[in-house]
Amino acid sequence: MTVPEPSAQVTGASPEQPAEPPRAAVATPTGRGLPASSWMWVLAAYLGALVVVLVGLAVVTVLAGASPERALATALRDSLLTTAGLAQTLNRMTPLLLAALAFSLAYHVGLFNIGMDGQLYAGAILATGLGFLLGTALPAILLVPLLLLAGGLGGALFSAPAVLLRIRWGVNEIFTTVMLNFVALYLVAYLCTGPWNDPMAGEAITRPLPFRAALPLLVPSGGGHSGIVLAVLLAVALAWFLSRTVFGLEVRSVGGNPRAARFAGIALARIQITAFCVGGALAGLAGAIEVLGVYHRLLVGLSPNYGIIAILVAVLGRNHPLWLIPATFLFAVLVAASDSLQRTAGLPASAVLMIQGLAVLVVLVMEAVRARRARFVV
Amino acid sequence: MDWSLFVDPSLFRLTLVVAAPVLLASLGEVLIERSGVLNVAIEGMMLLGASAGFLAAYRAQSNGVGVLVAMATTALVGLVLAVCCVSLRASQLTVGLALFVFSVGLSSLLYRLVIGVRTLTPKVTTYGAWATHGPGLVSWLGRLPIPVYIALALVVLVHVVLFHTPFGLRLRACGENPLAAESHGIPVFAFRYGSVLVGSALIGAGGALLPLLLTGTYTDLMVGGRGWIALMLVIFGRWTPFGVLLGAVLFGYVEALQYSLTLRLPHVPPQFLLMIPYLFVIIVALRAYRGAQAPAALMKPYDREQRS
Amino acid sequence: MSTPIVEVRDIWKRFGAVTALAGASLAIYPGEILVILGENGAGKTSLVSVIAGLYHPDRGDILVDGRPVRFGSPRDALRYGIALVHQHPELMHNMTVRDNIVLARPRRRRWVPLLAPADDVERLADDLGIHVALTTRVADLPVALQQRVEIGAVLYRHARLIILDEPTTFLTPQETDTLFRMLEGFAQRGMTIVLITHKLSEALRLAHRLAVMRNGQVISVVPRAEARDDVLIQQLMGGAAPEAVPAAPAASLPDGARAEPVTVLQVDEVTTRQEGSAVALSRLQFTVAAGEIVGVAGVAGNGQTELIEAVVGVRPIERGRVVVHGRDVTQASPAERLRAGLVLVPQDRLRDGIVPALRLWENLVLGLHRDVFAPWRLRPQVGRQLARDAIREFAIRAPHPDVPVSYLSGGNIQKVVLARSALAVRRRPRPVLIAANPARGLDVRATAQVHAYLRSVAQQGGGVLVLSEDLDELMALCTRILVLYRGSTAGVFTGPPYDRYQLGAAMLGQHAASVRQAGTEA
Repeated sequence: MTVPEPSAQVTGASPEQPAEPPRAAVATPTGRGLPASSWMWVLAAYLGALVVVLVGLAVVTVLAGASPERALATALRDSLLTTAGLAQTLNRMTPLLLAALAFSLAYHVGLFNIGMDGQLYAGAILATGLGFLLGTALPAILLVPLLLLAGGLGGALFSAPAVLLRIRWGVNEIFTTVMLNFVALYLVAYLCTGPWNDPMAGEAITRPLPFRAALPLLVPSGGGHSGIVLAVLLAVALAWFLSRTVFGLEVRSVGGNPRAARFAGIALARIQITAFCVGGALAGLAGAIEVLGVYHRLLVGLSPNYGIIAILVAVLGRNHPLWLIPATFLFAVLVAASDSLQRTAGLPASAVLMIQGLAVLVVLVMEAVRARRARFVV
Repeated sequence: MDWSLFVDPSLFRLTLVVAAPVLLASLGEVLIERSGVLNVAIEGMMLLGASAGFLAAYRAQSNGVGVLVAMATTALVGLVLAVCCVSLRASQLTVGLALFVFSVGLSSLLYRLVIGVRTLTPKVTTYGAWATHGPGLVSWLGRLPIPVYIALALVVLVHVVLFHTPFGLRLRACGENPLAAESHGIPVFAFRYGSVLVGSALIGAGGALLPLLLTGTYTDLMVGGRGWIALMLVIFGRWTPFGVLLGAVLFGYVEALQYSLTLRLPHVPPQFLLMIPYLFVIIVALRAYRGAQAPAALMKPYDREQRS
Repeated sequence: MSTPIVEVRDIWKRFGAVTALAGASLAIYPGEILVILGENGAGKTSLVSVIAGLYHPDRGDILVDGRPVRFGSPRDALRYGIALVHQHPELMHNMTVRDNIVLARPRRRRWVPLLAPADDVERLADDLGIHVALTTRVADLPVALQQRVEIGAVLYRHARLIILDEPTTFLTPQETDTLFRMLEGFAQRGMTIVLITHKLSEALRLAHRLAVMRNGQVISVVPRAEARDDVLIQQLMGGAAPEAVPAAPAASLPDGARAEPVTVLQVDEVTTRQEGSAVALSRLQFTVAAGEIVGVAGVAGNGQTELIEAVVGVRPIERGRVVVHGRDVTQASPAERLRAGLVLVPQDRLRDGIVPALRLWENLVLGLHRDVFAPWRLRPQVGRQLARDAIREFAIRAPHPDVPVSYLSGGNIQKVVLARSALAVRRRPRPVLIAANPARGLDVRATAQVHAYLRSVAQQGGGVLVLSEDLDELMALCTRILVLYRGSTAGVFTGPPYDRYQLGAAMLGQHAASVRQAGTEA
């Protein structure tokens, strides 16, 4: 997968100038319709990543002083092989998938949204706040969708400054979204330790939401909520939208060659803002889902780096909405497994982060090697 | 409110101290970007520098050793970045992000492995003031810790090298037009590898100064976005050492100010004050991005055989 | 015969499935001017890139002064004194003229701060006719001067063999003369010159020997005295001589239109803002009538890109108006202007024309997609059929309509862009076609087809504006040629016939007022 290097964009060229498309994009094939030998490379890349993950986990387990086979067996059980375990995996898959979709949507219009964590928190804040306000006034069947919508709205609003600053003044959105992440984090910290705090539950955690403000459960025994259904449906819908609608064509054009898109009469700014903010809405929705489905409160650790991991997943899933579904599933298994390993073998969470980074690196390296070998096909 | 707090001399001293880590990281990034490579792993590298630096200093009971170990560790990560992006021509942005995540994980893991779980947080003595006696200006200047002086000296050094030596001219040529540079006989790959390694080492040094100069301890969240801020400062400073110095000092001032405000305004929730530096940086970015002229070949992998 | 300074034997070079060089062999002798002649895609640039150390040959030998060598990079070739001057000047655009030249020679002490600059740089710049301050930024120089800076850097490096790749692309006739005189001077002083061109006239003017390339091989090498036009043309094209390109006179207005020319495009005192490195348009004024083909000539970088951007709506206009079919579209978006009848064949197909990741049929409908696929759903079947028709009509070499357009060769991508314009033209009653470099990258046959297409658009009542760097193309197609210089009109010429040197003078800004040629009256 060749990432269009947004040379002018990262380095802050004047936004009024028609943006420069990458030269590299034409020299190397883009990844569809490759000859058989290239597919073998792709397969090898992902297998390599899988090997890295397994070996990495084993090594770290040993370093933490536990038996790898037993720990890994328990981990598999707790993440995949039991209903409860599967439920846990699905629960983790939901925010990951939504955040990855957010990243890939921005990516499709040539922008980089690194702020999914912040947008997630923004959505969670809005959903929680509204939940406290209306939680006893409306029936669940109205309340839950409303709160989910609020989450989406929160995420969209929180992502808007980044894309607007980018379009109007050329401020790089990577930077703005990362800064806003920290702002959101502090906002949540304030709310959880201050006005919404539940003195009995702990220092950085809010009061519980009213009982009816909860997502219906899909897998009762494991606490698996139905958010996953929503996430997968949205992924499929997004895939369909991108390939089968005029809007989707315009989105793909803007991402592929913004200058050519402008010459073809496509309204660049409108498409970019829409795509970016819809992505933000998806991330905000994830936040609302976490609150309504998993914790029923707002807390500081709501997102254990889902945002950053979602970027890695999106890279692995080649930013295609349908491919993101299995990719996030695998990562969710990894996250659930590592939670289990934390309990049983004292595996530090950071080790998993390391392994994830390494796995993606392997894929990127193999991708680069493959691209070197196959240049022009026709 | 007492407005004199804004111009308190001790505030200025604190500014320079707080600015030093970000300054070093930005300097390193200037070198890297001037040769044509973008390093978005900088946040992770700073954390790695903080972690490795702290652990080495703790074990060896010497801050100097800590800084050196930090520099070596981040240079290694920089080597991986160079191999992937310069030789293999992978996407600099995604490789950087992957290395960022990897480094964050590695930093935390190292700390866990070496320190483990303890009731008493391990501490290191931070760099103290260099000299406390002497007349007027000397006394004011002299109360800064040594690393701050080194950082300032490095600003001058990097500037002279970049803009007044043939070596620097060649380095900048690599970032402007690698094809033309090679046609002039400049070994672009060697220059890019070199600047990535040296730049990464500087970033690691900057990261190490976070525990060794500022706090004396290590936490996983201690970089707090400074790496991303350093990235923006490079643009603000127009890829020059003195420009970056100005930006780092501005940032240091705001952050130092935030510390004193936290003390003087106890009724304001601390989290809002903590947000100030980030919001300030966004506003600075608005100014920074206007008309910024990057090294022309920044972020484009150089492929000699590429046909356009 | 003396030892060749450089000899390449049986060079093969592949890029994926494309074979650029298929056993090319060539010997270059010291002190000569060798011209490599060939059509687009013959392999000329690839061959010299191998000689200059830019490409590694898959197979074959390189010998310098009779001894085999291996080049790892251009540095190695430079060590033997072999240097390449690229078609698009490859310089550090943000650095000064002096820096660009000085960069070429390594200094013994690399870390010592640069002191007072050597004045051999000044002398060199003088010799080459670079009469600007050496502290000028290269980006601020016109292309012809940028080329001289690149040549200066090469000379500063004491190159013995200088290769120039299509150096006259961005030069006026006068500048071409100056360059050729300079090159002959170099050869007299003992340097070896290799020049690449696809223009036969240039080759015959300058060469001591001519080498013809086709399909990645060197077909023949002849001394100038033995060169014959018709033989060379046959060798260039391969096989039978091309069908005589219809020597029809330049598009004459269809009889009906002569009576009352309907203006379809009016550019009225258009001025744009100076921004960054873009050229500011300054009170640009011209019209295009139905049935007319108007040409815009000018050295690249004098505002052609900005003109197109301003007319299409991608660049904001500060003062003045753009009127299409009587409608003032100055404030309208590109989409609205396209709906009003504007059709564009962009300057640079890769930069402005296609989206590489999209399929052929998706690129084909880009710009028309809202019309073809109203209201909001894409219908691939319809798209694919349109693509199949276009493939047939324009002889596009593509396996199927779903192929990612980036897989096609440059010439075929150009055909896709042309086919797209044809689709748009057919959907509009009186299209205003803006065609920039319409035949770039196409061989002689395809070029003739494109010219016929442009003429047919005009004959059916549309207006055509052609921007091209090829004066011959403009002189054959247009009834009026506008010369663009520094963002404004430097001259308007009617014809045919045209005086190439008058056009050249205007391209250099040497005539302020519009010049009318004796005879023809519009």
